[in-house]
Amino acid sequence: MDVLVLGAKAALAVMLLVAGGAKLADLTGFAAVVRLFIPLRGLAPAYKYLATTVAVAEVILGSASLSFPAVEWINLVVLAAGCAFAAVSVVGFARHRGKSCRCFGALSRRTFDVPGILRGALIAAFAAVATVGVSGPAVRLGVPAQILLLAAAVLVLAVSFTAAKALAAVPQARSR
Amino acid sequence: MISAVAFIAVAIVLCAAAVMAIFGITNVAMSGPKAIENDGLHRGLAAPAWSLPDSSGRILVSPSTKPFQLMVFTDHSLKSFPSVVDGLKILAGQTADLEIIVLLAQDNAAAVGVLRLLGLGDLPVVTGTPALYGRYNVRVTPFVIFVDSAGRVRASSLVNHEWQIMKLWRLANIPLSPDPVSRARRFPGGRQPAGVV
Repeated sequence: MDVLVLGAKAALAVMLLVAGGAKLADLTGFAAVVRLFIPLRGLAPAYKYLATTVAVAEVILGSASLSFPAVEWINLVVLAAGCAFAAVSVVGFARHRGKSCRCFGALSRRTFDVPGILRGALIAAFAAVATVGVSGPAVRLGVPAQILLLAAAVLVLAVSFTAAKALAAVPQARSR
Repeated sequence: MISAVAFIAVAIVLCAAAVMAIFGITNVAMSGPKAIENDGLHRGLAAPAWSLPDSSGRILVSPSTKPFQLMVFTDHSLKSFPSVVDGLKILAGQTADLEIIVLLAQDNAAAVGVLRLLGLGDLPVVTGTPALYGRYNVRVTPFVIFVDSAGRVRASSLVNHEWQIMKLWRLANIPLSPDPVSRARRFPGGRQPAGVV
C-alpha cells in the first residue's frame, strides 16, 4: 500500500514537471488554450502571462512534491491541481471538443476527448491516493536525498523543455 | 525510514522512465519525413564559416571566393544515388562560378576511392565532424547546400535525383531579398521559407 501511495505521489510530481517544462517551451501555443477558456477581449495581452504562471506553478509544485514528500499540505495542493485538470478536461470536452489541449506542450497532440476526461479523472484519483496512507514524518528526507531528488527534477524539467522546444519547430511531426 | 527510501527509489525510477520516454517520443518524431524536411539551413541564413584541409592537404575555406559554393554532405553511400552523381558532374562541368566540395562527417578513406570510381575524383573532399554536420543541421545524406560568397545559404535540400540539384542551382541563382527583416516579418516566428525541392 505504501509503495502505491508513494508511487502515485512521485508519478504526479514527475508528470507536473514534464507538463510544466513542455508548456514553458511553447508558451504561445498554451496561451491559445488559455484563451479558449477565458475568452475575454480585455485580457488578450495577459494570456501569455497566465500561461507562464500555470507552467511555472506546475514546475514549482512538481519540484516541491518530489523533494519535500513529508510536507503534507503539498499533497492537498496537488489534489486541487488534479481536480482542476479533471475539470478542464470536462469543460474542454464540452466546449472545445477535438481541439488540442497542449497539456504537454509540443510533446503531445492530445485533444479534449473522452479519453482525456478519463486521464483527468485518473490524475485526480492519483492525487487523492497521494494524500492518504503514508504520514509525513515517515517520508522525511535528509538534505542529501532532497538535493538528489531536486537534481532529478531539474533533469526531467530540462529534458522536457528541450524536447518540447525541438518538437515545436516541427509542427506536423509531433507525436501523439 | 523504509518509506523514505522507497519514495526515493520510486521517484528516481519514475524520473528515469520519464526521461527515457521523452527521448523516445522525440526520437520517433524527429526521425519522421516531416522533421527531415526541415533539415538543413533556410535560405538567407548565415552558413557556418570554416577552414579545413581537403584530402590532398589543400586548405579550403567556406564561404568561398567564388560566387557560389556547393556543399555536398555525403560519403561512400553516394554510389547508391547515380542520378545525384550525374547532377554533380553536370554542375561541375557547366559553370566556373561554382566550387563543389564533398564534406564527410568523419574520416572515411573509402569515400575518396568511391568518389574517384564514380568520376568525381576531381572534387575536393573535406573531412568534417558530426558537430559540423550539426551546425549545418544535416542528419541524412546525400544533402546539398548552396552558399554564396557572402556566406549566406542560397538553397538547401536532401537530394535523390539530378533534377533536384539542377532546380536547387536555379534557386541559388535567385538573389536574396535585400531586407531580411521584412522577410522575417512575413513568416511568423521569423522563419524563412525553406529553399527545398
